[in-house]
Amino acid sequence: MMRRDLIIVGAGPAGMAAALAAHRAGVRPTLVDENAAIGGQIYRQPPSTIRTAVPSASSADGQRGAVLRSQIESSSAHIELLTETSIWGCFPGNRLAVQRCGGWQMLTAKQLIFATGAYEFVPPFPGWTLPGVMTPGAAQSMVKSMGVLPGKRVAVVGCGPFLLVVANQLHAAGMEVAAVVEVARRRRFLRHSVGLLSDRGLLRQGLTYLRNLRKAGIPMYWGRLVTEAQGAGELESVTVSRCDDRGQPVGQAKRLAVDTLCVGYGFVPRTELAQLAGCHMRYLDKQGGWVAETDETFQTSVPGVRVAGDGAGIAGAVVAELEGTLAGLAAARDLGCLNGPSHAAQSAPTARRLSKLRRFRRSLDQVYRVPSQITELASPETIVCRCEELTRRDVETGIEFGGRDLRTLKVTTRLGMGPCQGKMCWLFAARLIAQKCGMTVQQCGPVNVRPPIVPLEMSDLLNEAPTVRAEQPSTTKPQDTATL
Amino acid sequence: MNNSNAGPVEANGSPPGIAARQTADGSAAPLQADRRVPAQRGKQITFLYDGRKIKAYEGETIAAALLATGQRAYRTTSSDSEPRGLFCNMGVCFDCLVEVDGRLNQRACQRPVAEGMEVKSQHGTGQWETPE
Repeated sequence: MMRRDLIIVGAGPAGMAAALAAHRAGVRPTLVDENAAIGGQIYRQPPSTIRTAVPSASSADGQRGAVLRSQIESSSAHIELLTETSIWGCFPGNRLAVQRCGGWQMLTAKQLIFATGAYEFVPPFPGWTLPGVMTPGAAQSMVKSMGVLPGKRVAVVGCGPFLLVVANQLHAAGMEVAAVVEVARRRRFLRHSVGLLSDRGLLRQGLTYLRNLRKAGIPMYWGRLVTEAQGAGELESVTVSRCDDRGQPVGQAKRLAVDTLCVGYGFVPRTELAQLAGCHMRYLDKQGGWVAETDETFQTSVPGVRVAGDGAGIAGAVVAELEGTLAGLAAARDLGCLNGPSHAAQSAPTARRLSKLRRFRRSLDQVYRVPSQITELASPETIVCRCEELTRRDVETGIEFGGRDLRTLKVTTRLGMGPCQGKMCWLFAARLIAQKCGMTVQQCGPVNVRPPIVPLEMSDLLNEAPTVRAEQPSTTKPQDTATL
Repeated sequence: MNNSNAGPVEANGSPPGIAARQTADGSAAPLQADRRVPAQRGKQITFLYDGRKIKAYEGETIAAALLATGQRAYRTTSSDSEPRGLFCNMGVCFDCLVEVDGRLNQRACQRPVAEGMEVKSQHGTGQWETPE
């Protein structure tokens, strides 16, 4: 088995920052990502052959991604970069099953950092499986990294500031943005403005997005949601309705003709590896789902396993980068490359910035809350598990048959047994159980994760072949870190 | 041996329910106005989608190349034969599954196109070739 000092899974902002921090402290980290290029979803780069002129979310965002990427690339002699590499399992003893170049092998590391990012939460509603309905992130990366418009006329709906980012980009790329529909109410913005003022830079960024929409003549609807999508074979229109604080549609609905719908109600941390590693997990609504319990260095309950970034709880790219830095520094300390005082000294500025940003984040969470009745958008006939084609009625029957937690519900309905392994449906299902049975989402438990967590064909599995070089890149002599 | 999920396939190679965007004479002419934005792109290549020639550029994913021609549904579901297409575009949702060069259940949003590649829309989890 190949051995490494530090393996970081995921090369988004958290993973890149962790690798850089560890490298600067004298560790030679291994950075793994399933995509061909580093950057993660937020700083996703087009393939080398495509150069689009689509602007980044903001110039600051684009620059930040470029800075991190170039720092990683210029440290390539000291950071082992494994792209197009998936981890399909995590086994006791910090062993990772690594799939790469048509073969797989086990890698073990003294320290692991999971910076696995997040996926979007889309609560089911009638028509949401129609081609043309996609997540905001899907449309964003189609435009940004492929230079292809997913349609002509789009509505961007759901919850959270990401909608503003995507609407701006789609407009800039040449799509007609019919409306931005935000379930949160505008007055919540005003109520929490004091907390939002704690980070004027980020607040200003948000206000710029809003101003740009106004300048472009794109209507921004607060306190409304899309209750239904219609179309024969493909999306043709959506129904927009006003809603109350709980997300219950009220008043008259309006039909909007669009061929594309971007719908997302925030993000859910990807925690499969942390779960497989055996980390103690807890459900935190504001963090987007189940997250590993950690200390202030992002150390989980499993020795040598850390989590950072959105995979450790949703907080966005800026926070992810700071968390990655702290996790990387702590891993370097635990590997003996940093002593206690230098670790403390180097972590302090990042930790201070992080706690300031958390205040901003808390206020943002207060503004953008996914209402409890969002589950009621799904009618009895609405497909809620996209893979297994289960309707809401099927799931409710499964709950009545004793599926009062996600594991049992899987047995009574097959919910979560499809190729997405429950990622697209578990949060809705847990909310539904909680509502029907008077329980909390926490009590419904997390989805039972089993390897392989990425698609693996039998032919891949039979080909156990070392595709990662055997030798551990030698650890550089710990530098005099005080000068860094 | 046929997979039990395998459904009927129409003459044009698409499972029923997927509107094959085809010109009247079945030619490989651009299906709709190209949805690509002006950009510097890689070498132009041609691949096959359900037997039709589709123009694409090196570096594009199958999903991007199909979307650029206005083709938005790539498969139909096992039970209800509902059309599905791109949803998450990051390899998580598995809704954009297609057959690529005989390999079933490949994610169109993750696989880059290549010259001469044979992509087929699929029904359910796909249909294995029957060995003669």
